[in-house]
Amino acid sequence: MYLLRRTWSEIRSEILILPSRSLVLVWAIGLLALPLVYSDAYVLRILTMTCLFAIFAASWDLLAGYTGQVNFGHALFFGAGAYGSALVSLKLGVSPWLTVWLGAAVAALFGYLSGFLCLRLRGSYLSLATLAFPLIGLGLLFAFPDFSGGELGVSGVQRLIVGATANYYVACVSMLVIVFGLWMIADSRFGIVLHAIRDDEVAARASGINTPRYKLAVFALSAAAAGFAGALFAHYLRVAGPSTLEVALSFQVVIWGIFGGVATIYGPVVAVFILYPLTEWLGSFKEFGELRLLIFAVIVLLVLLFMPRGLSPWVRDKIEAQCPRCKQRNGAWRKICRLCSAPLQAQVARAQRLVGHQ
Amino acid sequence: MRRAILGVILLFAAPLALAQTIKIAILGPMSFVQGEHHWNGAEMARDEINKAGGVNVGGKRRQIELVRADTNEIQSVPDATNAIERVITRDKVDFLVGGFRSEAVLAMQEVAMDNKKLFLGVGAAHSKLGLNVEQNYDRYKYWFRVSPTKDVDLARTLFAVLGSIGQQIRNDLKTDTPKVAILAEKAVWTEGLVAAAQKNLPALKMEVVGTWQPSAVATDVTAELSAIDRAGAHIVFTMLSGPVGISVGRQMGERGMKAVAWGINVEGQKEEFWQAAAGKAQFVSTLDTYSEVEYTPKTIPFVRAYQARFKKAPTYTAATYDAIMLLKDAIEKVGSTNADQIVAYIEKVEHVGTGSVATFDKRHDLVWAVGKTSGIAVQWQDGKKVPFWPPNVKGMQPFKMPAR
Amino acid sequence: MLQDILVTGLVNGGVYALLAIGFSLIFGVARIVNIAHTAFYMLAAYCFYTLLTRGGLGFALAGVVAVVSVVALSLLCYRLVIEPVREHESAVLISTIALGLIFQELMLVAYGGHFLGVPSTIDGVVRLAGVSIPYQRLLILVVAAVMLAATWFFLYHTRTGLAIRATANDLEVANLMGMNVHRVAMVTVGFSVGLAAIAGVVATPVTSVHPHMWLDPLVIMLAIVVLGGLGSLKGSVIGALIIAYVEAITVFTLPEGAHLKGVAALGIMVAVLLARPEGLFGVAFEEER
Repeated sequence: MYLLRRTWSEIRSEILILPSRSLVLVWAIGLLALPLVYSDAYVLRILTMTCLFAIFAASWDLLAGYTGQVNFGHALFFGAGAYGSALVSLKLGVSPWLTVWLGAAVAALFGYLSGFLCLRLRGSYLSLATLAFPLIGLGLLFAFPDFSGGELGVSGVQRLIVGATANYYVACVSMLVIVFGLWMIADSRFGIVLHAIRDDEVAARASGINTPRYKLAVFALSAAAAGFAGALFAHYLRVAGPSTLEVALSFQVVIWGIFGGVATIYGPVVAVFILYPLTEWLGSFKEFGELRLLIFAVIVLLVLLFMPRGLSPWVRDKIEAQCPRCKQRNGAWRKICRLCSAPLQAQVARAQRLVGHQ
Repeated sequence: MRRAILGVILLFAAPLALAQTIKIAILGPMSFVQGEHHWNGAEMARDEINKAGGVNVGGKRRQIELVRADTNEIQSVPDATNAIERVITRDKVDFLVGGFRSEAVLAMQEVAMDNKKLFLGVGAAHSKLGLNVEQNYDRYKYWFRVSPTKDVDLARTLFAVLGSIGQQIRNDLKTDTPKVAILAEKAVWTEGLVAAAQKNLPALKMEVVGTWQPSAVATDVTAELSAIDRAGAHIVFTMLSGPVGISVGRQMGERGMKAVAWGINVEGQKEEFWQAAAGKAQFVSTLDTYSEVEYTPKTIPFVRAYQARFKKAPTYTAATYDAIMLLKDAIEKVGSTNADQIVAYIEKVEHVGTGSVATFDKRHDLVWAVGKTSGIAVQWQDGKKVPFWPPNVKGMQPFKMPAR
Repeated sequence: MLQDILVTGLVNGGVYALLAIGFSLIFGVARIVNIAHTAFYMLAAYCFYTLLTRGGLGFALAGVVAVVSVVALSLLCYRLVIEPVREHESAVLISTIALGLIFQELMLVAYGGHFLGVPSTIDGVVRLAGVSIPYQRLLILVVAAVMLAATWFFLYHTRTGLAIRATANDLEVANLMGMNVHRVAMVTVGFSVGLAAIAGVVATPVTSVHPHMWLDPLVIMLAIVVLGGLGSLKGSVIGALIIAYVEAITVFTLPEGAHLKGVAALGIMVAVLLARPEGLFGVAFEEER
């Protein structure tokens, strides 16, 4: 009984106090409860894919948004996880429930390697070097077709679990756990160090932070999450092919990340949940279904013109205000800050937004 | 009084007229040539069947309704699986026809088999699709490959034609062992073919002077062609499915090479090939499916009608026509749309289509036989695709070689 | 075989250099990573194809019109799409990616996914030192050399070129010195895209024209500018030659490994970056605080 009351008071004070967090709670509950009211296999499939790509996008944000290592080849980790899990489960007959973790580990290894190669690179050099990594990976895959299946990939991969709803829950729960975990990491002291590395690596090093170690760690962590998503993807489609390493996929995650808002973790997730079903829905129309990539690009362009920092920061700024004294977020309708009772003047908050402080 | 009776009859007849249609989904990359031909072939079949009254399902006549599903498989495999799920779950189709990119069709096959829907493949040649049927019959039995023959059978046709070209070279050039250069794109599907060629050509009394493997999307094959020239090859044995086929055709013509190209050149099967190679791809020859020859009794009328309606010649993905005709035949003979019964029927039938006379083996692949499912060989001469093999089929013309 | 490698490397290097210099210029002056750079190359190719085969214009006229229209389009895009979000680097990046995608899809809708062939400007081959080189490739080489010389002249012997180099060197001081930075940026964009468009017009007779033709040169071009050093023109030219020769050597010496030429080129780039993180001739910018 005490636990229930405690939980309720925690929810009320930590979550319901901010509109954005309430929205997240509603969304999470909605996702989990969806199959109970509506179990159309097609919709569940779309949402399953959305959840997997959401993990992928969130992992990119940790690397690129928080740490400033803008990775143009994130698909390498996705593909590494997919191929790793698929090959081990197919060739050695290990259960997929184990191999997805193995796939994530393989991807983490690739992440560590990429991070190592990129340690001394900055800015655009790092981005373009990371662009090359999945392409080199693809070339090597094609060079050893007996092992990797060449352009056809690995097929006949075992299912994790059978049934549309079951697969949906696997993806959904994984996504909620991983995204929440990534967000907790980003919100911790580790995340502060990552921010420091992004903003001014020289100053961070001068403060005594071992930046190479942090960069390698975040590369490995981000890759592990992406690899996990890739492994789930391979077991869901039952095929792990070179399409998991494509340049288009890397570009796609960069678009999702920036469209949703970098350095937020939840931003890219929002972007995936909006853009992926939207493009699918557009594709189902006979008349202009073939134009869906065009419409997608135009939407991205237009939204960026009006919300250059991304979608979620813009939405968040509409429903929340930042206290000028203690810098904590409050509901936009409040007159005084919930923590330090400083007056929340709308003008002050708006000024803060323009300068771009978080 | 008479009017009332008429009214009552019409009242009862109306639901019959609006009776359930048979829904068939056509899956393909609709913004690309392959999907275009998928759809065209299907439309021709649908219009022909519906105009004749529809399909006779155990006494009731039902019309065919096509559902167009753009899989976008060339650019994205998940798009393809989403599309097939959508037509099964949302549009509630009865049958699935089409597919092109093997990686995507493998994934789509899984979705179709999960839902126990009949899936007739028209376009993907990878053997794994048939292997699945053999290894796990109960799950994969709903898959049949109507076109093309599986990749390893293509080799048999290739060698048959190569033998006849080799003979022509022996006669014309008075040389005992023609020299063959193997030019195969680096891909999984060519691995077996390259190995088979290296093993079998000496037995056919031909010398392999080298093997070159460019990338499937290579735009410049100067390196390979210079080396082939230096080796003095008479025949360039091609195994190309990507745009490298265009580069090969064009650059061979630009260099004025004396060797002749024969093999698989998928780009060379398309009408746009001549223009894409800027008019230089003279004498390039390739395996193909459709031409205005009497391969089967139905081929010439089909090709002519297709040309008249769509202003271009059909490629092998237009065999959706054959797939739908096969379905109609199966449904009518079995008397229902029950998938299991139709599977049992198709396994035993010999279907005379427009591109082949089809029978299926235990992998639900086409049984290979010259003149029945082997396909034909065509050569580009002065901007036209001229068929030249099998020689005993009516309409075939002679094979030409570059002047020496 | 050596002559083959020499000639092929030189010709390909010329085309790559044209693309890389333009990209490097835009980055140096406007700090924009223009992912749509090769998309303009593709647009010029399509424009040239249409004017040539459907419009019936002669080669020279079709080429000039194609280049001019693509340059005009690029300036329009810069004005409408890039300038409003100049301050947000990541937004600019995504905008250029989105632009590239839009151009690709528009071409897909307008022309279909087919591969289109552009007739050669000059037909025929010439035999030089045992190698038969088609005249078209010689033309590419000549045009590339002429444009490189023109670029050098423009940048080092005209006032606008001086302004461009100054802006690339230090944007704020150039602004303080009275140069109209916005106008300089626009001129740079126009000039660079012009180089890419010329590459498109002159190089497409040896490749096929299709909606995805901008992706492969994009990767190679990015590898080259990174290898040579972002913002360095000398680096772009030398990087282009290095990559082109690595590719040519891979293809000629390993006939069964020809498909690995892209991997080899990228591998060289990664290797150089490990040794010199700013590329061969790159300038390390101190981060503005």
